[in-house]
Amino acid sequence: MTRQFHQELDDLRDDVIRLAGMVSESLAKGTAALLATDLDAAEALIAGDDEIDELALEIEEHCFRLLALQNPLASDLRHIIAAIRMASEIERSGDLVTNTMKAARRLYGTPLDPRLRGLIEKMSEHVHRLFRLAIDAYADRNEGLAAALDDMDDDVDDLHAEYIRTIFEVHEGGGIPLQISVQLALVGRYYERIGDHAVNIGERVRYMVTGWLPEHTGAARLAARRAMSQDAETEAPET
Amino acid sequence: MTGPVFDVHDLSVYYGQFRAVRDVKLQIFGNEITAFIGPSGCGKTTVLRCFNRMNDLIESARIEGTVEYHGVDLYDRAINPVEVRRRIGMVFQKPNPFPKSIYDNVAFGPRIAGMKGDMDEIVERSLRRAALWDEVKDRLKSSATGLSGGQQQRLCIARALAVDPEVILMDEPCSALDPIATGRIEDLMQEIKAEYTIVIVTHNMQQAARVSDRCAFFTTEVNELSDTRTGMLVEFDRTETMFSNPADERTENYVTGRFG
Repeated sequence: MTRQFHQELDDLRDDVIRLAGMVSESLAKGTAALLATDLDAAEALIAGDDEIDELALEIEEHCFRLLALQNPLASDLRHIIAAIRMASEIERSGDLVTNTMKAARRLYGTPLDPRLRGLIEKMSEHVHRLFRLAIDAYADRNEGLAAALDDMDDDVDDLHAEYIRTIFEVHEGGGIPLQISVQLALVGRYYERIGDHAVNIGERVRYMVTGWLPEHTGAARLAARRAMSQDAETEAPET
Repeated sequence: MTGPVFDVHDLSVYYGQFRAVRDVKLQIFGNEITAFIGPSGCGKTTVLRCFNRMNDLIESARIEGTVEYHGVDLYDRAINPVEVRRRIGMVFQKPNPFPKSIYDNVAFGPRIAGMKGDMDEIVERSLRRAALWDEVKDRLKSSATGLSGGQQQRLCIARALAVDPEVILMDEPCSALDPIATGRIEDLMQEIKAEYTIVIVTHNMQQAARVSDRCAFFTTEVNELSDTRTGMLVEFDRTETMFSNPADERTENYVTGRFG
């Protein structure tokens, strides 16, 4: 029974890696389709997202089954919790590629400014690399790599900021109309979000390996506010 | 109450020349449930029995190290083991009611201890605390052996509670019970822990995870020369930590079923 359970955990791990592989592949193909304004490729990727959704759902159901039937504990428990969270991060990344392909349809026929083109290529390369490293960290249970992703994501954020600035410049110079500028800005946002999902995957890997949980800044702010109001209460002079 | 109820230092237990458990170091805290888990022969029951000097009843048994109860050495010559067992009660694996009435089972301890007060009241209070009163109040004079296994075990808990102990030691109290009866004992443990300190030995890891506040994992090491096994404490921590992120690889392997 135990051996079968551990076999199932291995299968689960393989499925998560396969899911990430599907998204990683569509991300690379998506950028190519966008830059080549290849609408057939874009349509194929939009349709292909259904398979990503299907596998993500299978992974989630598999996790629920293991939780309900096997009473997983310790690292097994953390693995399953991490897999549930990761499946949704990966699936969402796939959706963002789909969004990019829909934007590609709307951008069809508009020549791309070479500077923007170069920046899209660069952003895509960085995000793709980040995404692959996140999955490598998962496959190898590499906590150090998982923790490094957050800093690596800063490059993506910088590129994104530069990209938005460039859109403004090109638009103001009369190179592209407002509608197209907005579409392009959204495309940049989609890449930037995939980078964020890769960072989140890294956080889940860290949880899986060590039990570490991210300190959400909002929760930390709230705790600080509560501590402050408590201090104020105790210090208030009695009337 | 400040400080631990039990403070165990470098405890080893021997049966003759054979060292059954070695170098146990842990603390049991008041109004908590502490669970001992580990494979067969790891010494968890042996350590539990040290807490009320039950091992004294085995002639060849002796201990090294100390077991302090509220800072007092339980094995000091001046300590009366009978008084120890009044304060530190025990419930065993198999329900073992006396072949007497339900009432007499519960009244047995208080009578022997010479407790003053209304015996009917003591019996009722003990049975209520053990969540058995409603089921037996109309047949207190019936034989205890006519009760179901789960009821018998709760009667044994009532019997242990009747002498007003501070600590209840439970040695696999549910291993002979079905899941419903087990659930009732577990609920009962949660209800009475506000007033008592409970130490439970269990083979059921899920039970340890469900009921305990802290958990100790014991294992065995094989002495190749003498081909004997000695039990030892591996890890002792908050239950949540023990089952979600244990520090020791041996604990991890045991709770995830990768042991051996």
